[in-house]
Parts: sequence; structure tokens; C-alpha cells
Amino acid sequence: MPINLKTPVVESREQRLGTIVGWDGSASELARQSAYARGCGSGEGKGCGQKARRICELEGPFTQGSVCSEMMVENQAGHILDAVLIQHAPIGCGAGQVSYNLRFRNGLAARHKPVQNIHQICTNLTERDMVFGGVAKLEQSVRDAWERHHPKAIFIGTSCATGIIGDDVDGVASAFEAELGIPVIPLHCEGFKSKHWSTGFDAAQHGILRQIVRKNPTRKQDDLVNVINLWGSDVFSPMLANLGLRVNYVVDLASIEDLAQMSEAAATVGFCYTLSSYLAAGLEQEFGVPEIKAPMPYGIAGTDAWLREIGRVTHREDKAEAFIAAEHARIAPRLADLRRRLEGRKGYVATGSAYSHGLICVLRELGIEVNGSLVFHHDPVYDSQDPRQDTLTHLIDTYGDVPHFSVGNRQQYQFYALLQRVKPDFILIRHNGLAPLASRLGIPAIPLGDEHHAVGYQGILNIGESVLNILAHRKFHLDLAAHTKLPYKKWWLEQKDPFALAKRVE
Amino acid sequence: MTIDLNDKPLPPLVKTNSIEQVRYPCSIAAMHSVSAIPRVIPITHCGPGCADKQFVNLAMYNAWQGGGYGGGAVVPSTNASEREVVFGGADRLRELIGATQNILDADLFVVLTGCISDLVGDDVGSVVREFRDAETPVTFAETGGFKGNNFTGHELVARAIIDQYVGPYDGPKQAGLVNVWSLLPYHNPFWRGDLAEIKRILEGAGLTVNILFGQHSGGVAEWKTIPQAQFNLVLSPWLGLDVARHLERTYGQPFLHVPVLPIGAKACADLIRRVVAFAGLDPAPAEAFIAAEERIYYSYLEDFTTFYAEYWWGLPAKFAVLSDSTYNLALTKFLVNQLGLIPALQIITDNPPEEFRPAIEAEYRTIAEDVSTEVEFEEDSYIIHQKLLRTDFGHKPPIIFGTTWERDVAKGLKAPIVEVTFPTTYEVVLSRSHVGYRGALTLLEKIYTTIVSASA
Repeated sequence: MPINLKTPVVESREQRLGTIVGWDGSASELARQSAYARGCGSGEGKGCGQKARRICELEGPFTQGSVCSEMMVENQAGHILDAVLIQHAPIGCGAGQVSYNLRFRNGLAARHKPVQNIHQICTNLTERDMVFGGVAKLEQSVRDAWERHHPKAIFIGTSCATGIIGDDVDGVASAFEAELGIPVIPLHCEGFKSKHWSTGFDAAQHGILRQIVRKNPTRKQDDLVNVINLWGSDVFSPMLANLGLRVNYVVDLASIEDLAQMSEAAATVGFCYTLSSYLAAGLEQEFGVPEIKAPMPYGIAGTDAWLREIGRVTHREDKAEAFIAAEHARIAPRLADLRRRLEGRKGYVATGSAYSHGLICVLRELGIEVNGSLVFHHDPVYDSQDPRQDTLTHLIDTYGDVPHFSVGNRQQYQFYALLQRVKPDFILIRHNGLAPLASRLGIPAIPLGDEHHAVGYQGILNIGESVLNILAHRKFHLDLAAHTKLPYKKWWLEQKDPFALAKRVE
Repeated sequence: MTIDLNDKPLPPLVKTNSIEQVRYPCSIAAMHSVSAIPRVIPITHCGPGCADKQFVNLAMYNAWQGGGYGGGAVVPSTNASEREVVFGGADRLRELIGATQNILDADLFVVLTGCISDLVGDDVGSVVREFRDAETPVTFAETGGFKGNNFTGHELVARAIIDQYVGPYDGPKQAGLVNVWSLLPYHNPFWRGDLAEIKRILEGAGLTVNILFGQHSGGVAEWKTIPQAQFNLVLSPWLGLDVARHLERTYGQPFLHVPVLPIGAKACADLIRRVVAFAGLDPAPAEAFIAAEERIYYSYLEDFTTFYAEYWWGLPAKFAVLSDSTYNLALTKFLVNQLGLIPALQIITDNPPEEFRPAIEAEYRTIAEDVSTEVEFEEDSYIIHQKLLRTDFGHKPPIIFGTTWERDVAKGLKAPIVEVTFPTTYEVVLSRSHVGYRGALTLLEKIYTTIVSASA
């Protein structure tokens, strides 16, 4: 389904990609059911009706707090250097400013940019606004944003409350865009409208594609590559410099000009297709900027293929080959050493979807056994619909199956049984909520706050070192495990199947 | 877009609805007041992000406090979808409460509603009443985000547990038993250590203490004894007064309101003597406790003079406090009366209900026998920072007590900063306390380590 930029409301992941948040089986079975094929189960079209890419999903009566699209809008639009994000919402949605501020500040510091607080304003809707509407407050906050900061763009994120009361956010945005002469961009991200938070990435990127990216660029920057990432350390610039390419990091920590010039770039890549799918596909569809269609740069095979594709698309094949050869030689001795020291270790990956596929590649490159993974959702396809981006199949074909591959939107109560099935020595995580449970079971976690830590050839060595470091942490976790009680009932902890309560839904 | 200190002329500061850089979340964040009671777990009936957002920002990125037994990622949530918006969420809530009974091991569940449920009008009370015979009791509070902040949410939760779980009582009172209503759990990152120290002091005064929240609470068994208490002690400028009045009506319990959370020997002795007089206790053991505590406290202050009276490189003379009302008043009282610092800017940021503001202002006007100061009420950090920048602190920078939001402004002013309230992101806090006798000494260590370590 092509990306539709005509309406201000983004189509949700489940509408576009058939995204699911509950599933359990082997990675190969999930790949087969997704398989860039159609229909439920084996593709015969049984069970789930005729709708494209529908995988039967598990749904249970018990759910714990998940994450919402509005947070991902904060995650993207709230982190642009010279823009303001207005949260049109009661004050509780504004709470997100706190954690995102640390990510913004620490991210700026890591990239050697001046540290500052994020620029988010909550319209602070109260009971009266629920009755009479919140438009006047939204207008006031847009004026405050302008007068206080004179930003290059103003984003307006909606909330569950404003979605229900039906404030005309699009109308306010249009009026101010005309008045202020800067893009004023409505981002529709009500939490209740999508079952997975990653729709919020798409909502922000949808607004950027519609109103920020330069429509008719007068120049082409043949050596510029858009890198869709978050706050990670600067890994891509030195890597791509070997190919004579410059990096345009987006969306977080970018300026409005960085975003506008995306249409002038030679190619677009990302560290994770979950994040980059929509924006990269939109840039190709609307502006002809090719998205690199390859496995992601994790593990040797993935990084090789990824670099070769960048080399091909940007006409730098020779440089790519020379870099690949040099890097293979560089990492070989240390990799051999790490493999020896990590022999017999078992890891588990619990992260966002495509990211997990990449991280499992890295662990297996190090010779670490990975028999299980929890991904927080699953996209049967990405927006490009190109099979070269089928990261799950790349993982299976290159490194073999993952017998216990589970999809769940970060439900801690299932994590106990998931870990019991495979009994790992450590876990890789990124989102909060699961590692504290693992701790209480004596299992340490590596929190991948710097999402670039595992990228490329060096990323393999980085993860190997981190695993060795974290195994030493086990002393702490084992001691804790001996002195703690989980909040789950014995009956539930005895269940072998983490999806025991769930049923298949069509 | 960093704040330009040379930005002249200064535009007038006009308060609007906008809140930039939040200093409190919404009512449903009072799920933390639930999980702050040992073995009590909140059930949230709200959108998919609400529970996580309140946890991450209030209990994680606010001093890395953690979720406790039944908070954080443990908290059940209906994760309301379009279906619950269009058709109502009562069925989904019923299903979740039923499943929770089988999965989570708790003594009490408290259902908290979010914007969606309160807007579509789910009859949550009816659903909860269906579980009156369930293995684990269930209560509820309507805490939709648009109804107020986590301070008002906290009082809604406390009243909900009292009315729906503790229930009617007309038996005898227990002399010397007191219920303490003080800091807002998790919002103030030091609540755990502070409540522990308050309990210790009140026990030293001869009381039996229902501290109600945190590691030193006896959980629901303790809450069940609330009606038996001789009286309620409200130890904050305003938070808890509503609960105390409610308890006065419900159980005929009197309450003592002491607005100043005690930091240091003077405030502690003052509190102990007031409480002892109110409760009609024998003052002798309390006086012995005060004497014993003061002997230790002042011996440390004597040692502190080696630094405080002899440090060559200068110390701040003035201070600013930008925090919730409880810590604002407590710190101001201590800094003025114990350390002899000069109050330069006091801004209360928790949006106290209007009815309480005149009494709070009066506290600042009589902050010491010979010192009077004014307090302001603001919630928007943009305005707060502008006021900070426009304050004349004299010939050297003040020390600022505030939040993570003030770090850059403080840097611009070359002022040391101590993060004391939400959000306190660049601190890790477990049992550290700033109140009482022991906490006051820790506070001195924190203040002056911050200053000294920035010297070179």
C-alpha cells in the first residue's frame, strides 16, 4: 500500500503493514506467515479472511501498561533542535517531557552539541475544556511557542482527550501556518487509535514529509546519506566517510534544515526498519531518494550486504569493497578472541521488532546461543514491501532459526515464562520494564541506550565486550534474586506457556 | 534556543494555560500513591501509554526510584483502544480485573481511570462492585487526567481506599496512635527516607505511627487501623488537609496541621512539642528524645563549623527554591533559621488550591522572627526561569533548589543547583532523607558537596 500523504492523518501500522502485537512460535514460522506473502497461516487465506498480510494474533484478558503513539511523536518531533512540539492534552501527557529531556540532553552531549532542554509545551487541558473544547488554549500555546522561541516549525501532537472531544487541530495549524509563515504541523497520534506505539513514529514522519521536506529541491547532494536514527553516538559518519559519504542524521537532534534537505540526499538508511520504514519509503516515493534495500548493518553478513548496497546506489562500489575487506581484517583477531571467551553463553533479546532481528545476528556472530527473543510487535512487511528488507528471513537464512520467537507489547507478566523456557545468561533490552523482572531472577541486562552500539563491524566487538562486562554483574542480580518476591501468583508462575490465557483472534 | 541572558528588553511575563517543562503530571499518576502502599497494586483503566508514561517519568527518570513491588511495568492496564472509545470500556475493565485476580498477588487493588473512561462515561463503580466478593478486594478512583494533577489524584486515592476498603468504624480510639499525611510519594524523590525519619521522630515523641506509605508502612493492615487513631497529623502546607477533614467527618477524628515538614533540630523540637501537646502525652519521654537527638545533631554542627565558618573560597548567601509547596516551605524554613541564608526567590510549583494560598503566604511572611519573605505560585517553567533570571541576587550567585529543568539557567547564573523535586533526573535516590535530625545533616552534606565539588 503506497504512502498516502494527502490527508493529515497517518494510516496506522496495522492498516498499512498488518502489524500484530501478540504471537508465539518459531522465527521461521513467523517469517513464513509474514513472508511478504498474503493471508493467514500458510498463506492459503484461511482463518483471517482476505485482508492482506493478516497474521492470526494472540489476545488475552490480562494486559499491562503498554506505550502509546503520542510518546513516539514526542520521541521524534520533540527532539528537533529549532522546533517546538505542542502537546494538546491534559497535563499527564506532558509528563513525557521529563524522560525525553534526559535523552535529548545526553544525546546532544554525546554528539558534542550544546546541551539544552527540550522544547515542548503542554496546553494543559482541564475539565472545562472537555466540555467547551480546547481550541482557544491551543491557539494560545501556539502563540506562546512563537513568542518564546521563534522556532522554525511548530508541531502539534494530539491526545486521547482531544481526539475524543474532536478539537479542530488541523484548522488551527493551517491558520497559524499562514499567520506565522512557518510550518505548523498537526500530528494525529491519539493513543487509542493504534495497537502499537510505532504508529507514532509514522505520525511524526508523515507530518515531516508533508510539511518540512523541501518539495522541489534545486540541488542534489550526491554524497549525502539520510540516516534515520534517534540519539545514538556518531557511528555512521566515520563509517560512511570511508565511502566518501556524509551523514544527515534525522529526526532526533536534527534541525529543520536537516529535515528539509532530506529530499536532496543520495540515499536513506536507518539503524532499524521499525523506525525508518515510513520516512524512508516516503522519501523514495515522493522525492526519488532511494532507500537502501538490504539487511540492516548487524553482524558481518548484514553489514557486508548493507555497505555493498549503499556502494551500488551511490556508485561507490570499489570504496565499499575496500572498506569491507579492511574491516574484516581489522576485527578478525579480536572477534576470534571474543568468540573464545563467550563460548557456551546464552543470550536473549527483548527489543523493538526489526532491531531484535539485527541484535540476534550480532550475538550469533559472536557465537552466543540465542534460543529466544521477545519483540514488541511484528510488521509482516515494511513500507517498501521489498523482500531485500526482510530482516527476519535474513536472520534465519544466515544464522538459523530462533525456536522461541514471541511477539508481545512488552508484557512483563509473560516475561517470566519466556525466560524460563530458554534460561539465558543475560538479556539485551532497550525499553524499560522487563529488565527489573530479569534482575529478580538473577539475569543481568544490557540496556542499549545508545542504539548505535551494535551497528556495523565494530558493533559486533562492542556487544562482545558488553556481554563480558554484564556477565560480571550477575553477582548483583543473583544476590537480589535470593532476596526478592515477585508480584505474580504461584499459579501464574507455574504456567509453562506465557500465552496460556490468550486466544487466537481474527 | 537556549535562554539568552542578554535578551533585552524583557517582555512582561504573562501567565497563560501553557505549561512548558512540566512540574507535575496528572491525576492518574496517583497510581504511585497506590503502589507506595506495600502489596497494594493499581489497575489502570486508560489509554495504552498512560500507566507507562506516569511510571517512567515520575518513578524512573525522577531520581531512578523504581517501581516497587506492584508499580512500574507490573501495573495492569486496559490499554483502551478505539473499541473502548466507541462502545465503552466497562466490559474490558471487568475482564481485566477478573484476570488480575488470578495473576497478581496483592492485598488490595485500586482501579484508577484515565481521560478515555472519564470522557466516555464508563460506570466504573458498577464494575468494581461486581468484585465485592473477590479474593482480593478492589476499590476505584476516577482520576482522568483533565481532572487535576497528581496531588489532587493522591487525595482521591486516599479517600477511595478509606471509604471503599477501610470502611465504617465506631469502635474505640487508640490513644497515641496517629495517621500521618505528608509528602506525595514518588513526586518528591526523597519521600521514602523522609517518611522513615518522620516516623522515627514521632515514635521518639511517644506516639504510635501509621505512616501509611513506603517501606515502613504496614500495608493494608495499617490502613485498616486508620479509624482507630487518636488523631491525624497533616505535615505539609496543604496536601492531606482534604483527607484529614474527610476523616474528621467520617470517624470524628481531630487533626493537627503543621505546615512545616521539619528539617533540623529546631523544627523537629517544635513539631514534637506541638504533637505531644495536641495528643496530651507525657512530655518527659519526648523531651528526653529531643535532648538525645540534639546532643548528636549539634555535635555534628560543631564539626561543620570547620567548613562553614572557615571555608576560604566563599559560599552562597542567598537562595532560591522552586519546588512543590511542602519542600519549598520546609527548605526555606531551614535555610533561613538554621543556616542564616537569605531568601531571594520562592516559587511554589504544585498549584495548591486557591483556598490554601493565603495561609501558605502567611507562613513565608513569618519565616523567622526577624525575616519575612514573599512566595509566588507558578507552574510553567518558562515563567519560572524568567523570574529566576530577573531576580537580583546581589554580588554573587545564589544556591538554587529546584529541578532538572533549572540546570542550564543555573549554569548561566553560575549558581550551584540541588535538585529536590519532580523532575530530579540527575540524581539517584534510594533511602536518602532531607528531613528530621538525620536528614538535615545529609542535606548539609549535599548542599556543600555540590558547592565545593564545583570549585575547580
